[in-house]
Amino acid sequence: MELNINGKNVTVEVEDTMPLLWVLRDELNMTGTKYGCGVSACGACSVMLDGVATRTCILPVAAAVGKPIKTIEGIADGENQLSAVQRAWIEHQVPQCGYCQSGMIMAAEALLDNNPDPSDEDIDKAMTNICRCGTYQRVRSAIKGAAKMRAGENSLLSSL
Amino acid sequence: MAKDNSKKRKWTRRAFIITGGLAGTGLVVGVAGNLYMNKAVKKYSGIGMGEGSSLNAWIRIAPDNTVTLAVPRAEMGQGIYTALPMLIAEELEIDMNSIEVIHPQPDKPYTNTFLVTQKEPNAFKGYTMMEKVYTFIGIVGTGGSTSVPDGFNNMRYAGATAREMLKKAAADKWGVAVAECRAEKGYIINAKNERLSYGELAEAASSIKIKDLPELKKKEDWTIIQKPIQRVDIPEKVTGDAEFGLDVRLKDMLYAAVRHPATIGGKITGINNQIDIEGMRGVKKVVLTDFGAAVIADNTWRAKNAALALDLAEDDGGNTGISSASIAQQLTDILAAKPLATPEDEGDVNTALSGSGKVIEARYDVPYLAHATMEPMNCTVQIEEGKAAVWVGHQAPFVVQNAVNEISGIDQSAILVHTTYLGGGFGRRAEPDFVKAATAIAQSMPGTPIQTVFTREEDMRNDMYRPAVASQFKAAVNEKGEIEAWDNMIALQSVSNSSMSRVMPSMAVKPKDDIATTEGAMHLPYHMNNRRVAFGQLDLPIQVGYWRSVGSSQNGFFTECFMDECAEAAGKDPYEFRRSKLDKHPRFKAVLDKAAEMSNWKTPLPENKFRGIALHKSFGSIVAEVAEITKLGDKEFSIDNYYCAIDCGQYVNPNTIEAQMQGGIVFGLSAALYGEITWNNGQVEQYNFPQYDMVRMNVSPTVAVHIMEVDEYPGGVGEPGTPPAAPALVNALAAATGVRERSLPLAKQGYRFV
Ligand code: FES
Ligand code: FES
Repeated sequence: MELNINGKNVTVEVEDTMPLLWVLRDELNMTGTKYGCGVSACGACSVMLDGVATRTCILPVAAAVGKPIKTIEGIADGENQLSAVQRAWIEHQVPQCGYCQSGMIMAAEALLDNNPDPSDEDIDKAMTNICRCGTYQRVRSAIKGAAKMRAGENSLLSSL
Repeated sequence: MAKDNSKKRKWTRRAFIITGGLAGTGLVVGVAGNLYMNKAVKKYSGIGMGEGSSLNAWIRIAPDNTVTLAVPRAEMGQGIYTALPMLIAEELEIDMNSIEVIHPQPDKPYTNTFLVTQKEPNAFKGYTMMEKVYTFIGIVGTGGSTSVPDGFNNMRYAGATAREMLKKAAADKWGVAVAECRAEKGYIINAKNERLSYGELAEAASSIKIKDLPELKKKEDWTIIQKPIQRVDIPEKVTGDAEFGLDVRLKDMLYAAVRHPATIGGKITGINNQIDIEGMRGVKKVVLTDFGAAVIADNTWRAKNAALALDLAEDDGGNTGISSASIAQQLTDILAAKPLATPEDEGDVNTALSGSGKVIEARYDVPYLAHATMEPMNCTVQIEEGKAAVWVGHQAPFVVQNAVNEISGIDQSAILVHTTYLGGGFGRRAEPDFVKAATAIAQSMPGTPIQTVFTREEDMRNDMYRPAVASQFKAAVNEKGEIEAWDNMIALQSVSNSSMSRVMPSMAVKPKDDIATTEGAMHLPYHMNNRRVAFGQLDLPIQVGYWRSVGSSQNGFFTECFMDECAEAAGKDPYEFRRSKLDKHPRFKAVLDKAAEMSNWKTPLPENKFRGIALHKSFGSIVAEVAEITKLGDKEFSIDNYYCAIDCGQYVNPNTIEAQMQGGIVFGLSAALYGEITWNNGQVEQYNFPQYDMVRMNVSPTVAVHIMEVDEYPGGVGEPGTPPAAPALVNALAAATGVRERSLPLAKQGYRFV
């Protein structure tokens, strides 16, 4: 099977039914995407599949063939520049234990891609991941911070 | 053994420097400098601490000026990889940007004496006899919110003595007096403004002995302590590079999934379909251990599916009669029986209760709770001839060594423990069970590193639970509004007895001596004319353990709700009622006042908005919280705000403390709203998040935190935010509905939170 992950094509020899999560983690050693529940209840395993935040613990790998997959390892805007969401996450000192944060960040990236200026309600709706450490308040403020960074960067781009 | 780094596209230092392109335009807010430049924290000590010269067990300086600091405490989100280095860096006069952090092997100098003694240690002045004993045992662990209380003196003296060694080395080199030298940002500078870098001096300094204990800096001269320093572990926690136990990848590593006995105290006696399972794709081996059956495979998912397909024969241990109903009845019986112990008994409670005061009575209940750390339990073990290596996120590496030794017989000194990041600890990761299981499994394939994983289902059904607790109160409130009598009887399984018998059997306390049972119920700060706190012990084969804030997790809820009931009986405002009883405890009063002020307690709220207040001391810190809620419908509420004031003495990193209060409150709310482990036929009924739910973004309140400026020795911050969360909420609900809820979780009582 051929997958497109973070812009690169990779071939894996696994069962069609193996969830994408375990292909990433155990076959490709891309461990940034986490296992939390295995039943699509916590969001720790979220990646972007064709631009949509997707929980990979119940997603058969075969369903991901032919669609671009973006993982936490692939969201930085190049070698020297973390994404706006990542930078906001650091600025707001969001992570505690950090285990849920890959999933949180992927959900936030997808939210902002679709909705550049989300309201509190939009954030509540999109961000249904569990954080056992309770970082929600900082996740919320970091999403708003990232939205501002993205807006600033976009307006600069269009003025160039 | 070679570590397989093929998965890593390691972020270099450069990666965190925001340079070029858009970021250079200044549009990116406040992201320059500091820890972006810091190389990612190294988790492994390997054999030593890398290149350079060691000035003591915590500090190593390389010729290129890299300062490596050993942090022997588990980083589980509380920010300890930053807080202890801040204490060292302050005295060593180095920039937090110049440090690297490693997690060392659990050697004796790294003992956490405070964990056992609850007394301020000072290793550099000299340990007491008992501290020496604990250091000899080598109790290297993280828990009880003790890392800063244990390290506050020791880490500053570690930095200060190293600084003096560097000064002496420079003075010798220049042939001047030490008094003419000063330390600044990694350099020693003399009167002529000549400079030598720490890197140039480290080797000479490492053999210098400092006779007199150096002076520590005065608080007003601090430039790092008490500043909101960015955490060193956060950059790699936003790139996916942070390595948790489950992320360990070693050459030729295999994965194992475990099936524990389904019934508490049960034992798996046989596997009926071993041959079939061994034929499944990727399966390498099926093993039966004392802890359960396991499948070893080349992929976690294959191991997990094969483990699920195992047809197991199980001896239920005769425990199928255990159910939540039977437990509730037993707790009721214990409350009515003679106490096992009465650790607090002042005045004459019986006489006071039959006096003229108004007598109120109430029973409170909380259920068993799982820790449900975000990262399920796991441990990677490689057993070789006479030695072992373990990769694990664990709160107590000495427990890891003992566990591996118990199973394999390998000497503790030949067991390397690589402590990874912990995807949540909360007390669960101080237990040895998952290490023992992983060792037994790894032993079946010597030489091969095996990562043993408890699936979420196995993790939740094989926890060491916060026990179910029943608490009976009787109080008399006199016409002056004084508490004439306070009588509290508690029934539960002893946590310390259960946990210590697994963790440190030689130090296991008897249930009657377990201070965790009454912590947070005794020594309440409020003035009471007569008081008594007693408890009884429930004996069950259910394993119970330390759960963030331990006894205070329930006693804070019980006592602070019952205080509100007393206030109501006295016809007083709950804040004023508490305040009037704190004249002898100004620190408590100040914290209570602060939370009330933050919440504008004295200003009435708009329609449908209500408040509740709670005050509780745990782990050396006093926390007051006010919950502000909105009534949306019958039993339907939103939890809008928490106002939280904490007195933790001299604090270290205010940013982390704010985060710990916010997170601690959410942790307490998850338990208050949803948390419940129930039993039927001797088995746990919940097995994943849909059954054991958590507060999520939409329910989570906005928390405002104030840290009191107090010059006392530090208390802990990891746990004290949790206990007041539930009583503040339930007191607000009572204000809203006039109904007093005395049993958690609230969802079970029909409440809905949005
Ligand atoms: S691991 Fe996929 S949603 Fe929890
Ligand atoms: S940061 Fe620990 S689970 Fe979210």
